[in-house]
Amino acid sequence: MSTPTPRPAPGPGPAPASSAAPTPTRGRAREPFDRRLARAVQNVTGRSLGPYQTAIVRIGFSLTWLVFLLRELPFRHELYGPDGPWSWEMARRLIADNRSFTVLMWSDGRLWFELVYGLAVLSAVLLLVGWRTRAVSVVFMAGVLSLQNRSVFVGDGGDNVLHLAAIYLVLTRCSQVWSLDARRAARAAGAAAAGEPARHDPVGPLLWTVLGGFLLATTWFSQVTGEWWLPVLLWVLWLGNGLWWLVCRFAPGEPRTLLDALANLAHNTALVVIMAEVCLIYATAGWYKIQGSRWQDGTALFYPLNLDYFTPWPALSELLGTSGVMVMLLTYGTVIVQVAFPFTLFHRKVKNVLLVAMMLEHAGIAVLLGLPVFSLAMISADAVFLPTPFLVALGARVVRGRDRLWRRTPAGTVPEQRRTGEEHGPRTLVG
Amino acid sequence: MDAYVEKGAADADDGRPTPPAGTGIEAPPGPVTEPFTGPTADGSGGSPAADRGGVGIMALSMPYQVVLAVALAVAGVFACVHLAMVFLHVAPSNTLTKRHGQAVDDWVYPEFEQNWKLFAPNPLQQNVSVEVRAEIVAADGSRRTTGWIDLTAQDTEAIRHNPMPSHAQQNELRRAVDFYLNSHSDDHTPNGMRGRLSEEYMRRIAMLRLADLSGDVERVQLRTVTRAVPAPGWSSEKNDTAPSYRDFPWWPVTDADRPAGVDRSRTEAGR
Repeated sequence: MSTPTPRPAPGPGPAPASSAAPTPTRGRAREPFDRRLARAVQNVTGRSLGPYQTAIVRIGFSLTWLVFLLRELPFRHELYGPDGPWSWEMARRLIADNRSFTVLMWSDGRLWFELVYGLAVLSAVLLLVGWRTRAVSVVFMAGVLSLQNRSVFVGDGGDNVLHLAAIYLVLTRCSQVWSLDARRAARAAGAAAAGEPARHDPVGPLLWTVLGGFLLATTWFSQVTGEWWLPVLLWVLWLGNGLWWLVCRFAPGEPRTLLDALANLAHNTALVVIMAEVCLIYATAGWYKIQGSRWQDGTALFYPLNLDYFTPWPALSELLGTSGVMVMLLTYGTVIVQVAFPFTLFHRKVKNVLLVAMMLEHAGIAVLLGLPVFSLAMISADAVFLPTPFLVALGARVVRGRDRLWRRTPAGTVPEQRRTGEEHGPRTLVG
Repeated sequence: MDAYVEKGAADADDGRPTPPAGTGIEAPPGPVTEPFTGPTADGSGGSPAADRGGVGIMALSMPYQVVLAVALAVAGVFACVHLAMVFLHVAPSNTLTKRHGQAVDDWVYPEFEQNWKLFAPNPLQQNVSVEVRAEIVAADGSRRTTGWIDLTAQDTEAIRHNPMPSHAQQNELRRAVDFYLNSHSDDHTPNGMRGRLSEEYMRRIAMLRLADLSGDVERVQLRTVTRAVPAPGWSSEKNDTAPSYRDFPWWPVTDADRPAGVDRSRTEAGR
């Protein structure tokens, strides 16, 4: 289970029309370059890669944002409200200069602020469960950017990584598994297989129309909403979704395949960018540390443990700080792991070991330094590198746990059997 | 094997059987069998059903292939440029950024700004506290100056034994004073708009936290108190842990610095 199946060589299926070269059954190294290139192109346009990884990233970041927003409910006015210490007027002056995106500049009203905060919470919940993800992920991004850019001086590294992830996630198909979208698609597929007619779906067009209204508002307020490219991106996404609907209705042939391939392409590109971003994060964090004298003499970790702002449990911090050897091992370990991580991507097993080490370290930071939201965001980013077999097993375990919790009737009933069947199918749609 | 390594740089490649490349005819064994269900805003409106004639570039005729190939090139170039810009943004100052720093900034700011020098190159080795005192005019017209009130101690108190401190406790004041010090010269001259904003920000934070004082606050003065973290007991190092003070100028308080009434009660209740 832990060894991923290598891709099979192109099977003995019908020879592709575009290539006259005979399909080699083994000796992949000798496969001609053009043939390999063609296969790579087919791969990035034919499929949205990493369905489980993108889904876990989606779940991780939406959960992070949801937890954060709920935790800050009592502080929301102080942090982001029009009368907080960083007042609306001050934000307006700064944003006029840096041109960052925030819908909170549309009005300094209290009601508008509450509405935006509420929508941000709602979008986090909906993205978590994967409802209409293509639309909701855009709302999620707007919420994250709006609140964070409104008060840039209250954030930390966790906000920063969430900010980037929210933008990149918009371009991914992150609900292929573990989502309500996937469940609906599976049901529709089942119905279609049974010969039932496709059900009319009024929600999609309705949502599209409502968001179109917001888009018009964004355009209307584009002078105060940020740089030009974000409204353009929103327009492209909105029109693209409309086009997809039309094409699926009226031109289900090649135009639809083309749009599907473009969506796969955007997804795969965004996935590469997300993975590269994670590497950049660790490379930067690691390589800059190497230059620091405290990281060199092995005492660096001692200092954060003694900063007032990062010691929620002073006794615990002190306990860890009493052993010089322990501090040095953790200090060196941190640097080694961070510097090494990007290079270990070329070796799955080593990478997985380091991934576990990094996630554990972040879990430790969550408690020790009192940075749970930051840690959750970093773990969500790391999750893009989790191996598929692990994620599949995790998903199956969660489903089993859920069923046990809800005291579903044990295996033998029809839905249970069907779910199990899906889990072992080639394309898992764990509902 | 090399093709596998190439693609498998990360596990994002899900390792499931791939449909045979380039079959326009045969139904691939794998891909999502999600027939379209109609929604426009749907995340999973994934690949077309297998029976509709395959997916990807191989399933397309020449003109469509050209469109897709152009899109592929654009996406590839765009991703490379973006990653290069972000790389130059996080990298130390170098030949390229010295020459083309403006282009990098234009690309990265404001939405892709990032800083991952987490506790690097060296972690902060001192506790910086912000203290405030106020000159108050009482109802009878008499003036008095309060003692120094330690605002950071209020934060620390709120963080102690708190598994999930708020940004308002952990970041607000800490980053505000950082912002102030970074946007002012040593003699407290603001460097432009950001400097003036940070001054106002500090005043507003202070006034929010002085809301309980009776009487009218006419002026406030802030100062930072910096105490070095004592060297670890197991090291032979000795360091000076005596606090060092840095006084800010007295600032007159205007109405713009005072929190709005409703807001004050709420944030204080939350604290």
